[in-house]
Amino acid sequence: MSENNGPIMVTLQSNDMQQIQVEKAIVERSMLIKNMLDDLGDGVIGQTIPIPNVTEPVLRKVIEWCEHHRGDPPSTNEDESDNRKKTTDIEEWDQKFMQVDQEMLFEIILASNYLDIKPLLDVGCKTVANMIKGKSPEEIRKTFNITNDFTAEEEEQIRRENEWAEDR
Amino acid sequence: MSVATRTAAAPMPPQPNREDIEATWNYLQAGITKIMVNLQDGMDMTTYMGIYTAVHNFCTSQKAVGLGTTAGVGQAHRGAHLLGEDLYKKLKEYLNDHLAGLYQESKAHADEALLAFYIREWDRYTIAAKYIHHLFRYLNRHWVKREMDEGKKHTHDVYTLHLFQWRTQFFAEVHEKVMGSVLTLVEKQRNGETIEHGQIKQVVDSFVSLGLDDNDASKSTLEIYRFHFEKPFLEATKLFYQKESKQFVSENSVVEYMKKAEARLNEEEERVRMYLHPDIASPLKKTCHGALIADHSALLRDEFQVLLDNDREDDMARMYNLLSRIPDGLDPLRIKFEAHVRNAGLAAVAKVASDAEKLEPKVYVEALLETHTQYQGLVKRAFNDEPEFTRSLDNACREFVNRNDICKANSSKSPELLAKYTDVLLRKSAAGVEEAELDATLTQIMTVFKYIEDKDVFQKFYSRMLARRLVHSSSSSDDAETSMISKLKEACGFEYTNKLQRMFQDMQISKDLNTGFREHTKGLQSVKQPLDSTYSILGTSFWPLTPPNTTFNPPAEVQTDLERFTLFYKNKHEGRKLTWLWQLCKGEVKAGYCKASKTPYTFQVSVYQMAILLMFNDKDVHSYEEILQVTSLTNEVLDSALGILCRAKVLIMKPDGDKPGKNKTFHLNFDFKSKKIRVNLNINTKTDTKQEEADTNKNIEEDRQLVLQSAIVRIMKARKKMKHSQLVGECINQIKSRFVPKVGDIKKCIEILLDKEYLERLEDDEIGYLA
Repeated sequence: MSENNGPIMVTLQSNDMQQIQVEKAIVERSMLIKNMLDDLGDGVIGQTIPIPNVTEPVLRKVIEWCEHHRGDPPSTNEDESDNRKKTTDIEEWDQKFMQVDQEMLFEIILASNYLDIKPLLDVGCKTVANMIKGKSPEEIRKTFNITNDFTAEEEEQIRRENEWAEDR
Repeated sequence: MSVATRTAAAPMPPQPNREDIEATWNYLQAGITKIMVNLQDGMDMTTYMGIYTAVHNFCTSQKAVGLGTTAGVGQAHRGAHLLGEDLYKKLKEYLNDHLAGLYQESKAHADEALLAFYIREWDRYTIAAKYIHHLFRYLNRHWVKREMDEGKKHTHDVYTLHLFQWRTQFFAEVHEKVMGSVLTLVEKQRNGETIEHGQIKQVVDSFVSLGLDDNDASKSTLEIYRFHFEKPFLEATKLFYQKESKQFVSENSVVEYMKKAEARLNEEEERVRMYLHPDIASPLKKTCHGALIADHSALLRDEFQVLLDNDREDDMARMYNLLSRIPDGLDPLRIKFEAHVRNAGLAAVAKVASDAEKLEPKVYVEALLETHTQYQGLVKRAFNDEPEFTRSLDNACREFVNRNDICKANSSKSPELLAKYTDVLLRKSAAGVEEAELDATLTQIMTVFKYIEDKDVFQKFYSRMLARRLVHSSSSSDDAETSMISKLKEACGFEYTNKLQRMFQDMQISKDLNTGFREHTKGLQSVKQPLDSTYSILGTSFWPLTPPNTTFNPPAEVQTDLERFTLFYKNKHEGRKLTWLWQLCKGEVKAGYCKASKTPYTFQVSVYQMAILLMFNDKDVHSYEEILQVTSLTNEVLDSALGILCRAKVLIMKPDGDKPGKNKTFHLNFDFKSKKIRVNLNINTKTDTKQEEADTNKNIEEDRQLVLQSAIVRIMKARKKMKHSQLVGECINQIKSRFVPKVGDIKKCIEILLDKEYLERLEDDEIGYLA
């Protein structure tokens, strides 16, 4: 990994066969890709990495996030991730980044889960959580376009089971 | 799964339907086989990503069809349900098959080939495990994590699963055979063959890796390694060395054996460094020590005396080094060492003690020192300067310094001779000693001093001789004197040297006083100065000096000056009483009457002799009775003073005879001749010194009584009440730094104090203090 030749680049290929050049260090935010490159060794650097589960727009979005967060310290620490779980605060850039349509939001979440980028997955889930926060079941159904398939009895039972969590 | 299938590099089947476990598994199995068996052929990203994606897709499929029945209705209560159990089970089955195949293959190998096989397969398996662990990461992150969070003990992450299966399915079958091969290999090496020890290192690493805590797989333990590697290894080591050492000892000398054992111990240490796990270091050492040292310790110890007798320092160091490794290995050596040093010391003394009367202090002290130096050197060089050995040395030295042939008659002989030797060193002598050398010798004296039990005896003799040196200004150097005193102070404390220091002070004060007196007399112009005098004023309580045992009438010349000085002194210090120690006074007289020499002779004389000689200023002949009357000396003192003068032929006794006495007359010898201009007539006779020694010893006994009594009173004053036996014990404790008191003496002193009513007898053998 010589510095004179600039950063090492790898090529990703989305499931719609689009190729994207990314700096290796950036794409290694994905544990999947990092492990694979470690396992397979330097010999495969020139090869195109197929990403069969992600479409080009989503992949570009994910890479954008990775580029922005390239300097983040690795947060593998358990305690830290526990802390992060407890708060739904999202930093400003990430908030803006997540201002996309719902479909894209879910695609990002699925992609980060698949690519194993935990911080991005967290941000995505928090965004969804914030969309739910403070809303009644009916409002939530509306937000996410869900049809209510519970019977009245089922609904009553669920309410009882979750009574402890009610805000009063 | 058979061997044949595993070797085939089948092409990857097409990407499976995400919901079909059979199809998914078929696809995965092909991939895993590739990794397990053919990784050396390399792997492309498509396959890698394919496998990962297949796992991911299966786990995220909405409804799994196929084998899994547990995943579904029963788990509705977990909230979101996670798929994966089927995959996990399949993987486990696959591993079991693979390992069963390995086991079958392993049967074809033995010894080194088996090791090679084990290591090759282990490497391949663990590398594959790492790959598969990563490829199944999605399973790890979700299904496995959930299972573990719920406390399911038998679910592990994929890598750990690999290790567990290896351990239970393969290792359990082959470890004995593998270990057997390892031990064969090690024995070969111990017998001098060169072996490929990297193999053993890898086996060790493998065994260590298998140490998984059943309760918490994230923690590793050494249990598997300890049980399956360490234990058999240690047993084999023990047997090997027991056999080897037994045979070696029967064929070689003990010294040779020690060398062998040392070499073997080093080898084993090296072995640990080269290819064993550090955990074995301590138990392996212990095992080797047991077989190589402890089993033969009796033999080694028996040899120790021989080594001591022959000064085999290197071999003793070797023996020390070996025996120090086993518990209580050195105690018997110390006992032998102590006895040996004591005997050596006693023998050294016996050699010089053939004539105790004429024994030179120097010879005696040097004999003591030589033994000490020799064995202190041995302790340093062979016994690592170990404190316990130093203690044995000290015990032995104390023993032979205080109880040897010389001390048989009188236990205070050692301190007396030591003090005398010190006196010899500190006195002015013809053979000048270098200051550095002198100080080194004084330091050596302190070495012996440390061992002396009767320190009070040394103190007595020392202060007497110091007094003599000071009064006769015969010290070789003030620095040396001060240095010696500070050494004593360091060893015994302020009190021990207090008087010695005061004696020095007195000398200084006297010097100033004399200067003052000279100034004073110069002022008195009316007075002619017949006498060039120097006076020393010595505090009675600090100096070990006694008033003269004779009356004396000083000659008129002296008397005048003396009176003037007395007046001068009393003027300065009122109420002080001066007692003149005539026996210590000396002076010089010039003899202008001798025909043989133009320059007058100078006689150095005692003041008694001076008084006698001055009488001859008036008359050339005096009778014994006349002299007796004028000087008013006792007969003995006068006789010894006259004796010297007659022997030196300053006076001639008539009629001739052995001893001065009544009816003799003394004539001034005008024909006196001497090679020297200054003639020293102030000679101490042998009987004087003898007397002094006896006095000193008598003094010591008296002083000891006082010391004991004051110690008893001090103790009782503090305690008020005490058992008789306790009091005796405490008393010994307090006194022992000065001398070793006898119990009988302490009892006697208690009796005396009871009589004097300082103490009273109470009931139950108790003693009480009466204020």
